[in-house]
Amino acid sequence: MKRYLIRRIAVMPLLLLGIATLVFAVSRLTPADPLVSIVGERNLNNPDVVNAAKARWGLDDSVPVQYATYMKNLVRGEMGTSFSTRKPVFDDLIDRLPATLELTFTALIGGTAIGIGLGIVAARKRNKLIDHVARFFALIGSSLPAFWSGLLLLYVLYARLGWLPGPGRLEPRSAPPGRITGFYTIDSLLHGNMSLFVQAATHLILPAAVLGWGVIGIVTRLVRASLLDELSMEYVRVGRAMGLRERTVVNTHALRNALLPTITIVAFTFAFLLTGAVLTETVFSWPGVGSYAVDASRNLDFPAIIGVTILGGVAFLITNLITDVAYAFADPRIRLS
Amino acid sequence: MVRYSKSRSRSVMTRTAACAIAGVMILAACGSDPAAPASTSGSGGSTAASVDGGGNTGGDTGGGKALVIARQMDVNSLDPSLAYCDTCQIYMTAVYETLIGLDSSDNQTLVPRLATKWEGNPAQTEFTFTLDPKAVFADGTKVTSADVKFSWERLKALQGSSSYLAGSIETIDTPDESTVVVTLNAPNSAFLAQVNSPYLGIINAKLAQANGATMDPATDTAETWFLSNSAGSGAFALKSYADGNELRLSRNDKFWGAVSEFPEVIIKETPSAVTQRQQLEQGAVDIAMQISADVASGLDSTDVTVTDVPSFNYVYLAISEKAVGGEALTPAVREAIRLALDYDNLVQVTAGGAGQSQASPIPNGFAGSADLPKPVQNIEKAKQLLADAGVTDITLDATFPSLNVYGIDFSTAMQQVQTDLKKVGINLELNPVEIAVWADKIGKDGIPVTMLYFAPDHTDSSQYVQYFSMAEGTQWQGWTKSDPNPEEATVLAQAFATQDATERASLYKQLGQMMIDDQVIIPIVNPDLFLASRSDITGMAYSACCNLDLSKLGRS
Repeated sequence: MKRYLIRRIAVMPLLLLGIATLVFAVSRLTPADPLVSIVGERNLNNPDVVNAAKARWGLDDSVPVQYATYMKNLVRGEMGTSFSTRKPVFDDLIDRLPATLELTFTALIGGTAIGIGLGIVAARKRNKLIDHVARFFALIGSSLPAFWSGLLLLYVLYARLGWLPGPGRLEPRSAPPGRITGFYTIDSLLHGNMSLFVQAATHLILPAAVLGWGVIGIVTRLVRASLLDELSMEYVRVGRAMGLRERTVVNTHALRNALLPTITIVAFTFAFLLTGAVLTETVFSWPGVGSYAVDASRNLDFPAIIGVTILGGVAFLITNLITDVAYAFADPRIRLS
Repeated sequence: MVRYSKSRSRSVMTRTAACAIAGVMILAACGSDPAAPASTSGSGGSTAASVDGGGNTGGDTGGGKALVIARQMDVNSLDPSLAYCDTCQIYMTAVYETLIGLDSSDNQTLVPRLATKWEGNPAQTEFTFTLDPKAVFADGTKVTSADVKFSWERLKALQGSSSYLAGSIETIDTPDESTVVVTLNAPNSAFLAQVNSPYLGIINAKLAQANGATMDPATDTAETWFLSNSAGSGAFALKSYADGNELRLSRNDKFWGAVSEFPEVIIKETPSAVTQRQQLEQGAVDIAMQISADVASGLDSTDVTVTDVPSFNYVYLAISEKAVGGEALTPAVREAIRLALDYDNLVQVTAGGAGQSQASPIPNGFAGSADLPKPVQNIEKAKQLLADAGVTDITLDATFPSLNVYGIDFSTAMQQVQTDLKKVGINLELNPVEIAVWADKIGKDGIPVTMLYFAPDHTDSSQYVQYFSMAEGTQWQGWTKSDPNPEEATVLAQAFATQDATERASLYKQLGQMMIDDQVIIPIVNPDLFLASRSDITGMAYSACCNLDLSKLGRS
């Protein structure tokens, strides 16, 4: 196991360099002009401004030289400076990652818990009304585009009823808590500011619900299907015949086996949400990595695009590794080698 | 046993669900104060502030409630010599004062700001400014002529997007600390108008130099410092900036003019116009800056005021004969395109009727725009022109940037243009792309028919001629690869050399007509601007140079 982990971790930098190379090549091959995001379209025929911008951002070098420079800096841990924010990309990601992580964790934990619960209920009440309701709810969560459900929930629960707060991580007039972790809920608690904690927590509800609804959809259907498979197994019948309580049969024996595939799905959903919560972040003015990625791609902000891609790569590699390890713990028959 | 298990399971689930719902509602009730201000003061916001460094709720910080503005920020930099965007205009005006201001009541009259008086020589090649001895920066140091010299020379040297505004400056002399003498490399009667552009705001030279500001783009390292600090003399100073989230300004309590009643101004990143409206209605923000006509029409709160004012922004079509695939676009065919468009309907479709058409690239309200005839649809004449040119049923590439600016959706506008041109036998292949892709294409192959927008940097009409005319070296002469029109350059030079306002207006009118005759740029719609604010906000006015002057705002 130890050797396996070391080998997997050792390969990661090479994979990330490969990802960076691929993204670098694709971004440079795209027929688009990044100068427009640097100097604006009004100055594109102004040679003084264009030449100054090219020199400043290293765009006057040939592509191979740009690649060599970028890789040299990347190996040293530097991802370059964003054309748009004028800050180091690494700093941008560090600034924005906590917002995305806070949202993603909330959505994932809430969505997984509800999804597992609904999946169990649906499996145990197969083809009953509650099963149909749970599956319909899951189907809607998987099918509705986040921008639509987000706008709808905002309109009803914020604009019309005023039950929940609107976009953003805090009320517009509120200043964020002094940064410790970057998670507003945690930092406000660490600073002992309960009113700010409540504000941060309630601002999470709507975007996390929109994001988590999709997770509920995936997990419910998966758990239901897996649990139904398990419930038809021989060992379940034996357990029941031995007089075990139904709760023990389902929760202790069948569910544990049924949750194995859920580990994979949840892990990959987390990695996906980390860089893929674009629409939710846009609708809720959530200053996370997703909205940063959108701006980067729209502006052809090369350093930011590669930075976000590397972050996504890291997320997928780590979650993949954690999934493998979690499998080994969840099912002792699996041995990592 | 089984029954017991089921009922217990159900009761646990019910309790859990009830607790979860109750928890959510309690949290929401505790934390969701957006409705509260709407029903109390009507101005929104959290209540008392506890500025404790460990996390605080802003709002009423003892000297009045913070002003919150919702807008989609487009900040490219907060370095005064490199910034160039609509939000930058607001920021620069609030933080960095110019020598001359603009009276926003008429958007024409120049008013004193850092300079008490100014004059130009008859040749319009030398301008002298006298600084107000009372003017001080936010750190209390006096604003001197050396600061003006540093600011403008750095603006020119760094070659940022707004450097062209200082491009005509040859030398800057500072005979004493209150006098600035600027010598230009050619006559430029637009110079005073350029001086009131916020990009020519004055920087505290010593402070900026101490933090990496130089005159050389290769050695200047101040841009990062300017992202979290400011060095101006305006009514506000930069408090913090978080890209994609918010820009916070704190009141400059040492301001030498009238101190703002707002202790803080917060510009919140709010990309969606609908969300801006919702937050305004709920009282979470005081001003929504990018409300389009259709969104404004849904505003029904009595706590909100919406004012519809003419703007100087516009969206236009550009036609290029030299673009790949645009060979058929001779002057006659371009005129036919101009005549085929239904301008009233375009204003209706794109701006909900809240806008105007305009005659030439010089927008309504600018010198030279007054007496030029507005375009009118004439299908028969358009068809005749096409028939005379032997053009029937042509198809043209219409790649355009997929944008929504000033409430105008380019896709909607281009679809209407496509419909109009179809009636005279011209088919457009619409191809919406990101602006970076558009820029690459127009720079290489050119684009036969495309669409773009323009907003003024200052109050002189010369900027339109410098950008849209076919005089050699302008942006659109380069993009369309048109043969240079030396006559436009000559008349522009005459306008630059003329001090008399009437004569200048006459020359710009000539230039406006010449740009119409070029048949390259066809303005589509000059949309109105919707100034939406809580009803207790005072001083809301659109400025041609500066967008929104925060120092003029108050709360009744």
